[in-house]
Amino acid sequence: MPMYQVKPICGAHAETDLPTCMYKLPNIHAQKGNSCTPEHALQNGEVDPAVKALEARQDEIMRKLHELKAAVEGLAKTVTTPDADLDLTVSSSLSESASSTTFKGVTDLDTVLGKDLGALRDIVINANPAQPPLSLLVLHSLLCQRYRVLSTVHVHSSVNGVPPQLLSCLGPRHADSYARHMFQLGFTLIWKDVPKLQMKFSVQNMCPIEGEANVARFLFKLLAPYPSDPALTTMVDSWVDTAFFQLAEGSTKERSTVLRALNSALGRNPWLAGQEFSLADIACYCCVLQSGSASAAPANVQRWIKSCENLGHFSPAKQLLQ
Amino acid sequence: MTKEGVQGATEEEEQQQAQSKKGLKKQQKEAEKAAKKAEKQAKLAAEQQSTEEDDFAKDRYGVAAMVQSQQKLDRALVRVQDLTPEKADQLIWLRARVHTSRAKGKQCFLVLRQQQFNVQALVAVGDRASKQMVKFAANITKESIVDVEAMVRKVEQKIESCSQQDVELHIERIFVISQSEARLPLQLEDAVRPDGEGEEEGRATVNQDTKLDNRVIDLRTTTSQAIFRLQSGVCQLFRDTLTNKGFVEIQTPKIISAASEGGANVFTVSYFKTSAYLAQSPQLYKQMCICADFDKVFCVGPVFRAEDSNTHRHLTEFVGLDIEMAFNYHYHEVIDSITDTMVQIFKGLRDNFQTEIQTVNKQFPSEPFKFLEPTLRLEYTEALAMLHEAGVEMGDEDDLSTPNEKLLGRLVKEKYDTDFYVLDKYPLAVRPFYTMPDPNNPKYSNSYDMFMRGEEILSGAQRVHDAQLLTERAIHHQIDLEKIKAYIDSFRYGAPPHGGGGIGLERVCMLYLGLHNVRQTSMFPRDPKRLTP
Repeated sequence: MPMYQVKPICGAHAETDLPTCMYKLPNIHAQKGNSCTPEHALQNGEVDPAVKALEARQDEIMRKLHELKAAVEGLAKTVTTPDADLDLTVSSSLSESASSTTFKGVTDLDTVLGKDLGALRDIVINANPAQPPLSLLVLHSLLCQRYRVLSTVHVHSSVNGVPPQLLSCLGPRHADSYARHMFQLGFTLIWKDVPKLQMKFSVQNMCPIEGEANVARFLFKLLAPYPSDPALTTMVDSWVDTAFFQLAEGSTKERSTVLRALNSALGRNPWLAGQEFSLADIACYCCVLQSGSASAAPANVQRWIKSCENLGHFSPAKQLLQ
Repeated sequence: MTKEGVQGATEEEEQQQAQSKKGLKKQQKEAEKAAKKAEKQAKLAAEQQSTEEDDFAKDRYGVAAMVQSQQKLDRALVRVQDLTPEKADQLIWLRARVHTSRAKGKQCFLVLRQQQFNVQALVAVGDRASKQMVKFAANITKESIVDVEAMVRKVEQKIESCSQQDVELHIERIFVISQSEARLPLQLEDAVRPDGEGEEEGRATVNQDTKLDNRVIDLRTTTSQAIFRLQSGVCQLFRDTLTNKGFVEIQTPKIISAASEGGANVFTVSYFKTSAYLAQSPQLYKQMCICADFDKVFCVGPVFRAEDSNTHRHLTEFVGLDIEMAFNYHYHEVIDSITDTMVQIFKGLRDNFQTEIQTVNKQFPSEPFKFLEPTLRLEYTEALAMLHEAGVEMGDEDDLSTPNEKLLGRLVKEKYDTDFYVLDKYPLAVRPFYTMPDPNNPKYSNSYDMFMRGEEILSGAQRVHDAQLLTERAIHHQIDLEKIKAYIDSFRYGAPPHGGGGIGLERVCMLYLGLHNVRQTSMFPRDPKRLTP
């Protein structure tokens, strides 16, 4: 027996009409209620203006899409296969404009190198003259286009002498090199009797980086951030490792395996990491060149080598090997 | 009373008896002693007689008469360093010092030494040598100079303790040319022993003061010979490199009328009726030579600094190697020239003096000296940044203190792996008045310091070559213009832009070899506490 009872305020059972249709558009084809347009006129082929407007809009969108597609394809063509008649000496001056669109994405020197303490930030690389690091020379020329770089080459006392092309591999001395503080970045290459290539930057905050692959990754970070897609990043990294371990230091069997892998990858895309030029291409090109297998490479690889050379960044590497 | 008396008497008697007993005992002992002595003497006499009788080699050994140029012998003396297996079975003469001698029954082993080289020699009783000769050889005092005629013989087992390891000398004739006193103030093996080894094995090492007091003997050690040969090499390379670059060697006066740099640290000498000073540096005269159109000059000469600093790297007199040159447009031309000279010196030492470097390393182990070519040049702001990173706070215009210099040296060594570098663009406030200020930033100057193993070896700059600016700078530094009138006058009649710097020979050698005290590289060092030898 309930203690308290309250009379119901609202009705016991309220019927609510829940709609079943989410969106409703007026029926275009249905006739308007009172206007007595004869059906014949419509069925003769004349279309309702509303329909016309919609169709016109659709056509407009399709046309714009086509235009964009054509533009993109055009750009892709100029980036991947520039004019075959292009002279390399001309391309080096052109490469300045080409490279500014090569790497997208902005990196801040302070985030990679640490706080600016008001003095030149000098990157020191110790390399063995018996194994010159071609990929680092390529990255150096790319860095020079992006920043004001003070490049110097030294010979360490542990080495008796180096051939003259190793002394001039970073290019001619900059006119302002007497004033170190005017440069953003220092690139000091020391030819030294070291077992493995080594990079030192900040003695207090960083341990030395060993191995050409790792130093290449570090320097590349100063140019552009790694692609945000982790699958792409992994692919780039795996190509870099393949280049330095199997292509440069591996046996002939390993090298031919890598060349075949390169061939199949380049059959699908113009560049190793897809549509864009990346660190993977730099690393693989330099190692292919250094291992001397460029002439014996399969067709796609040959084509890709030509494209790389046409970009013009690789001239320091080629000059060194001559 | 009587009892005592009796007792006293008996006591006396006892005492007398005791005395006589003692006396007896004493007498007995003396007698025994005398007997023994007599026996010994008799024995000796007998021995002597026998030795004198049997000496058939009497004319093949002895103390030679003092060489007063009695006769001109055409004898060729062979150098110890030339004693190789090629000379086996040859009879040769040589003159060397007796390094050690050790008798063993019928043989006597000698080690004969000439500068850094030594060889084992043997006197054995046989048909060429008698017992007396062997005894004589064993008794020659160490460091005596001897003339030896010997047969060179090859040995099957290498003699590890000598520099000539493959041969041995069999002595036929040995004469002492100059005898040394038996008691030496220091032993050469002790002087060459590394400090750590001495402590470990409980053997003696020689104190630096003792070595410096008996410099003549200390300089005979292999280490000292090596150090000073290397020093001679540094001087030689300095002269040769600069002469090849077109420099002219000049000699500047050391007695001067006015103190050129700060007035406090000069020695005064009495000069007839007035007094004069000993030159602190050839700075003034080098610059006058440039104004006299010599273009590029260098000078090697003593420098006198009356600084009462008793440190491991200061001397009151040392040898200064100074450079000054006129340049075309930028003072970096001067830096490049100086650093290239230093690098050529280092290369010359690395390539030609390895034996000397290894010899010094045996007693004073150190890391080999590393350098870069071209030389590393850092700017003062970079140095401040590196120190700041390492936790040292310094103002923009502060000078580097010695501990900071050492820390900077370590940081540079870690990053660039070089023991030699140049620090450019010092703040103007800490440099002398004749330093040219930086054209773009008045806080800095066109001056530089060079460091070896973290210690400063050279201070240099572009000099002010304009008389008016020089006067202004002197006034700014509150220097009496009258005292430097002659100096300012030398720039009034057309002076080219120039710069230079000077290094200390002893300090450069000390730092190159990694030694810890500059007195080791100065032959007869002078410091506030030492004036002889």
